[in-house]
Amino acid sequence: MQAPLSNRRGALLYVVAWVCLGMALGAVCAALAPARLINGLLFALPTTPVYGIAAGFSTYYLCRANPLGTRPAPLLIVMLAAAAIVAGFMWLAVLLGWNELCRGLGVPWAGITVRTELSALLFALGVLLYGLLAAINYLAIEAGRARSAERRALEARVAAQEAELRMLRTQIDPHFLFNSLNSISALTSQDPPAAREMTLQLASFCRHSLGLADQDRVTLEQEMTLVRHFLAIEKVRFGARLVTEEALEKGALACLVPPMIIQPLVENAVKHGIGQLPEGGLLLVAAWREGSGAGMRLRIAVSNAVDTEGQGGGAGGIGLANVRQRLACAYPNAATLAWKREDGTFSVEIALPAQTRES
Amino acid sequence: MRTVIVDDEPLARALVREYLAAHADVAVVAECGNGFEAVKAIAELAPDLVVLDIQMPKLDGFEVVELVGARSGTRFIFATAFDQYAIRAFEVRALDYLLKPFSQQRFDQALDNVRGALAASTVAPAPAPSLQGLGRASAPAQPLARVPIRDGTRVHVVPCDAIDCVQAQDDYVEIRAGGKAWLKNQALSDLEAQMDPRRFLRVHRSWLVNIEAVSRIEQATRDSHVAVLRDGSRVPVSRGGYQKLRAALS
Repeated sequence: MQAPLSNRRGALLYVVAWVCLGMALGAVCAALAPARLINGLLFALPTTPVYGIAAGFSTYYLCRANPLGTRPAPLLIVMLAAAAIVAGFMWLAVLLGWNELCRGLGVPWAGITVRTELSALLFALGVLLYGLLAAINYLAIEAGRARSAERRALEARVAAQEAELRMLRTQIDPHFLFNSLNSISALTSQDPPAAREMTLQLASFCRHSLGLADQDRVTLEQEMTLVRHFLAIEKVRFGARLVTEEALEKGALACLVPPMIIQPLVENAVKHGIGQLPEGGLLLVAAWREGSGAGMRLRIAVSNAVDTEGQGGGAGGIGLANVRQRLACAYPNAATLAWKREDGTFSVEIALPAQTRES
Repeated sequence: MRTVIVDDEPLARALVREYLAAHADVAVVAECGNGFEAVKAIAELAPDLVVLDIQMPKLDGFEVVELVGARSGTRFIFATAFDQYAIRAFEVRALDYLLKPFSQQRFDQALDNVRGALAASTVAPAPAPSLQGLGRASAPAQPLARVPIRDGTRVHVVPCDAIDCVQAQDDYVEIRAGGKAWLKNQALSDLEAQMDPRRFLRVHRSWLVNIEAVSRIEQATRDSHVAVLRDGSRVPVSRGGYQKLRAALS
């Protein structure tokens, strides 16, 4: 519970609850005294909310100052019981004092005869209500503590994910780099213009990937530029074994995606797909939009030839898990990643909300 | 010096060929783009030297060495962009380990090593003791995912998941998978050390069995058991093996 009157709606609700309780108590008192209903109501209705507010504050501060688990339980119980009894007496005193005041007016519609049984009942009720309020306060404190622990854990996880993501985005597979440099080394004597061409491609790829890493979202067009640089380099390395094709819808190219999200898929496709096939194969990148309006989705598919005799697993590796995690981070509950392996083809498809810079 | 170049990238092969051209005593007898071709070429041509890439389709460089390693006289130089395989490379007695990209000087140095080793081996017969076993004992952080088996110049690759059981037979092991059987020149304990110990159990002195292939255990005599596999074949289980098997299956 917040401090009982800290927000207007809560305070109002609290007072209304006590007013209701006061009316019920008034009716009961009228029946037990016995007296007319009006007398009963006048007796209980103004005093009950006052007690509610006073006891509410009292228990709130008492429970705050003595959280569960910090003191031995018996001590806590004794302390609360003492507070409840004191509160009960005070509540009784207020009631009786108010009653005397009403009777002092000398009018028939105010004041009731309070007998000992009724006094005892009112005292017990005061004690019980105090105990109940204390229990509610403890419940609220515990719930709040659980909630904040949960939030802290969540925050820590998000922070860790972000750090990992930053690392991933700036990371280029070093073996890709070394193999490419080896190819350039081979080309320098055999085909100098091709060596220069590959050097430029490699430079563009590195510069582009560094540039993309700083951004939160890039257009699919930008991401594809990176992918094309990458594939151009791999084509020099793999020669005729690597055949690539693109099927990109024009509108889809303007959509935003997290940077370096297709790149690892393509990298995997080359490394684990084409790279494992002596005769090579086709790598296809496709992107299109689906649906319309606010619910429009961008779908991106990367499919490649795979060895039919290769190990059944293959997928679910680090690369795919990372992409899945990044999508989950960037689009909570709104992005999906699915992969399937059919005959000689492995394909990964991601779907995410189609957003453009303007929207 | 008769040399075979193995690399799945044409440019990488071209580079090695170019570096080799500077050496008059070297003749390139074959170029291979994958492990299968390499095993075939090495078996048929018996070259003095193989310059071998590690990451290749079908069979990787280590599998190639393992399959042809019995042949003495052939020396291996690994050439790869990955530095984490260096220790394993020397465990399979590679003469050198070139990190791509490498220079002509570095390559020449490697060739000098080979010449030295070849000269030494003509004076005294090649020291044949296999360090493979030693390497296996410490090396495989990751258990084997597939077993390459050579059959003449052909190569079979059997995924470990498919293997039902392995039986020791003199110098060989018989690997049974999916109703077929292959013989491989290897010691059972050697193979056992390479396999995933959570999946493959030595249930008998000469039997290794895939836990997932066991469909039931039967009492054979008063104090011996047999494991009945998914393909119906029966594997003898020793007393110690029975306990291990029971623990693994429960």
